[in-house]
Amino acid sequence: MSKGQRDRAGKAREIVAKQKAAERRRRVTLWTSVGVVLVLFLAGLVGYTVMSQQDDGKLVTPAAAVDDGTAFAIGTGPVVVDVYEDFMCPACASFEQASGATLQNLAEAGKITLRIHPVAILDRFSNGTEYSTRSAGAAAAAAEAGKFLEFHNVLYDNQPAENSDGLDDAKMIELAKSVGLTSETFGNAVNEGTYKAWATEVTEKFSARDLTGTPTIMVDGTKLTGPGDTVPTTELLTQTIEKAAG
Amino acid sequence: MERTWPWISTAARLALAAVWLVAGALKVGDLGASARAVNAYQLMSYDTAKIIGSAQPFLEIALGLLLLIGLATRLTAGISAVLLVVFIAGIISAWARGLQIDCGCFSSGGELAAGKDTAYGLDILRDLAFLAFAGILLWKPRTRFSVDSVLMGER
Repeated sequence: MSKGQRDRAGKAREIVAKQKAAERRRRVTLWTSVGVVLVLFLAGLVGYTVMSQQDDGKLVTPAAAVDDGTAFAIGTGPVVVDVYEDFMCPACASFEQASGATLQNLAEAGKITLRIHPVAILDRFSNGTEYSTRSAGAAAAAAEAGKFLEFHNVLYDNQPAENSDGLDDAKMIELAKSVGLTSETFGNAVNEGTYKAWATEVTEKFSARDLTGTPTIMVDGTKLTGPGDTVPTTELLTQTIEKAAG
Repeated sequence: MERTWPWISTAARLALAAVWLVAGALKVGDLGASARAVNAYQLMSYDTAKIIGSAQPFLEIALGLLLLIGLATRLTAGISAVLLVVFIAGIISAWARGLQIDCGCFSSGGELAAGKDTAYGLDILRDLAFLAFAGILLWKPRTRFSVDSVLMGER
């Protein structure tokens, strides 16, 4: 073989090798892409399946619940005031401290129907003990014993800090006793988490109503906020209620 | 520069992987909250938000793992870029509508507590930085220590 022939043969081999390498890259790119799309699709599917198969236990709706089974009513006045709260939410505790007594007095005086909706959106702030869900469920049990408001108030007076374990079931039962709620049925319902699935259901309905935060206050079906989307002051709240009463 | 690019791309790939893994891991424990975070943007019905909110954390983790091992890097970077653009658009739309929400980027999000300020500007800047990582990978997808390089027969 002359030198020229050797060069040509070498070049030919080089071209073939390059083509083979390009072919390999194409094949690898194609199949890894198919694999990636498949993996991502499956991952999304897993999430959806996990969510839709979450077992919240048997749904027991408390007989005392009103408004599609999401709230407990205090008073029967003409103006309806809806309050959506999470027992773990500090802004709700501030709202209760500022305006709770006023609303409860208005309800007792027959001016308003106060409907309190215990929702559980802050379960992630109680180190996995799901205090929001447990406390909302316990509140339902208290309502069945006719002591919703008393229990609601004592829970806010003893609100645990965010990112603590929350109040355990025994502590909630103990607090209930301090407000005259001593029934064994109540204690069992708290310990067994009878109304936890209900608390989840209320939270679902809260979201389905396109509400996103707590506390959410509504007067006759209209969301009431202070300037800059803040929680309304007691003054604004009473003014709005008076206006609604006509 | 031809020798340093694979190293720069490798750093971008691992950083982007970390972003997705952390973002997904922080949300995967409470899918209900993740769904509410999507719902807080008020861009779709709650039923749709539930599907997206529950699938998203798993998708983010899967994307993070794929980037970590470096499989089909250009494609995963492209998907990352698309997701980031969608997130940025979502934040801008929440900002424009004056919603008071946490973006839910690295948490379960939702509406902000009273008195807390939104951080839309910072959220967007951060997402733009992540978008830059994805951009580097789209442009120069060859990285070290990747499954891609093994499959392609590179050293």
